[in-house]
Amino acid sequence: MAENLTEVFSNLSTSTPSGVASGVSANITSSIRSDIPALGIDSSIVMNALLVLALAYIATRIVVFLLTWLSERVYEHRITVKMAIPLAKFAIYGFAMYHILGTILQLSTAQLVAFSGLAGAAIGFGLKDLVAEVVGGFVIVLDKPYQVGDKVRIDDHYGEVRDIGLRATRLVSPDDSLISVSNQKVLNQTLANANAGSQEMMVVIDLFINSKSDIARAMQILREAAVTSRYVYISDKRPVTILLKDYPFYRRLRAKAYVYDLRREFEFESDVTKRAWEAFREEGIEPPKAGVVEMEEGSGQS
Amino acid sequence: MPPAFEKEIELIEKSIEDFEEGKRGNVAVISDPFYGESDLMKRAGEIIGSSGLKVDARSLIHDFEVLEKASEKIVMVDEAHRLYRRKIGGFEAINRFLSFIPSSDGLFITTWNSYSWKYLDEVLGLGRHFPQKIRLSKMGAGQIQEMLLSGYEEGELTFVEEVPVDAEELKILSRSSYQKTLMGRSIEIPYPVVDIRSIRSRRTKSEKKSSEEIFFDKLARISDGNPGVAEYLWNEALDYPEVRNALKDPPSIDLDYDESFAIGIVLSMGSIQVRELSDVLEPLDLSAEKIAGLLEERGLVFSEGDVIAIRSEALKSVVEHLRRLRLVW
Repeated sequence: MAENLTEVFSNLSTSTPSGVASGVSANITSSIRSDIPALGIDSSIVMNALLVLALAYIATRIVVFLLTWLSERVYEHRITVKMAIPLAKFAIYGFAMYHILGTILQLSTAQLVAFSGLAGAAIGFGLKDLVAEVVGGFVIVLDKPYQVGDKVRIDDHYGEVRDIGLRATRLVSPDDSLISVSNQKVLNQTLANANAGSQEMMVVIDLFINSKSDIARAMQILREAAVTSRYVYISDKRPVTILLKDYPFYRRLRAKAYVYDLRREFEFESDVTKRAWEAFREEGIEPPKAGVVEMEEGSGQS
Repeated sequence: MPPAFEKEIELIEKSIEDFEEGKRGNVAVISDPFYGESDLMKRAGEIIGSSGLKVDARSLIHDFEVLEKASEKIVMVDEAHRLYRRKIGGFEAINRFLSFIPSSDGLFITTWNSYSWKYLDEVLGLGRHFPQKIRLSKMGAGQIQEMLLSGYEEGELTFVEEVPVDAEELKILSRSSYQKTLMGRSIEIPYPVVDIRSIRSRRTKSEKKSSEEIFFDKLARISDGNPGVAEYLWNEALDYPEVRNALKDPPSIDLDYDESFAIGIVLSMGSIQVRELSDVLEPLDLSAEKIAGLLEERGLVFSEGDVIAIRSEALKSVVEHLRRLRLVW
């Protein structure tokens, strides 16, 4: 400390005012540094840490591949198995970080405090979004607003959840586009989950018919089209419901039925619609007629 | 060698007694294919005698008046699941039958394919019409042994192990395979699976099973406790006076979704005419003839004239496959 003071005085005698300030700060910094034991990070430690991260990445890929493969093999429990994927990923990366900090760097309490301070500064200045995304990922995994395999709507994006990553959730849209939505954003958005962990999912099918059609027969046909579909799933808790709504110029028939696998949502809708309309035509049930206003002769001429 | 059905017969007798005392509870006998429900109905018919009428459900589709004009108080409808088709307009006959039941004061004893029953119970609430449900349950190895050996003297048959007993008992891993069709070629990828049944059935040397016990354990496992399937496999193994234990697990199935749906229809009927199958598949733009040919080629069904039926030895793997796809519930 005496050496440091001597250094300060010598700096004061030889420097300009700005030089004085920088000299003081440099000395204070070196004073603080002397209180904290050196991290002792050399190239081999960096290499080891990188190796652990690389192994964690490879392990994650392998676990994800195996769980995905297994989930497709046990088809009826697909979503249950896929629930384990994000948990496994977070566990592997968490263990890797613990190993790097605890075993490779062997941080003491003081070092850990210093590291936390540096990490806090880094997060505050540049990495806050990234950290918010990672924290968002943790919240999603723990709170389970959705799981891998669910069909969700987030911020106007609709699709099957393919992956819940550290930073973002990936959806596959019905037109096979891969959409990445930031985990942080997910938490701030209104989220609609169509199946909430079940493999089956409700599909709503609307058909519009002429008001003069035989409604009772039309409802029966739509019900039979739904219950005989090769994609339907029916149980006590998953019934088929047919609803009717009257509009001024047409009537809407709505079938609420469950598709056995959410991946077949659109095939189910298409199958029911096609067969219902074929039966409607055979029974003389017609679609709504376009509103035609009959004009008086010559009224259209100016 | 049909099963004894002692418990089931007792339940039917009880329903008849209750009916005669003025308490009606219509009976539904529910079973998988090959469980011998026709034998059960035959025996029930003998109990009922001339006071009962036995009708084949298929005939009711064309001639419902048989039922309406029947003077008998007890009506037995065999294979009642044939009253519906899984298509738009395919529920007319069954709805007519279910509407007729409350208007009649007779007792109805019916048999149903279990897969059709589950489907119709969800769609039409079938269970409410038949308060007395008799489900033919799986048979254990001992029951199968008793059923199949009932016609033989003790020691008359010799059980020959074609697979060494020790190898069979110590087996922890068994071989399974994943079949996939790629570019028109069927590829089989074998992989090991843990044989939990084998591990469970491992015993010490002092408790070592006899060849006969091992045979019937395996038969019960492969037939999934289905007496009809067990009898078929028994006949395959029987080379009098020897019984050869060369039973093999049924192969895994590789069918696409439409083919699986079609075989699900066959399963839910037990057997079906190609014309009837076509009634269901045509609105889906599927060819019944083509799919029936393909299923027969894979060894899952057999055809007799224009009727196709599930092969008894393929039943277990067909059911497992359809359950996996959630095509049967």
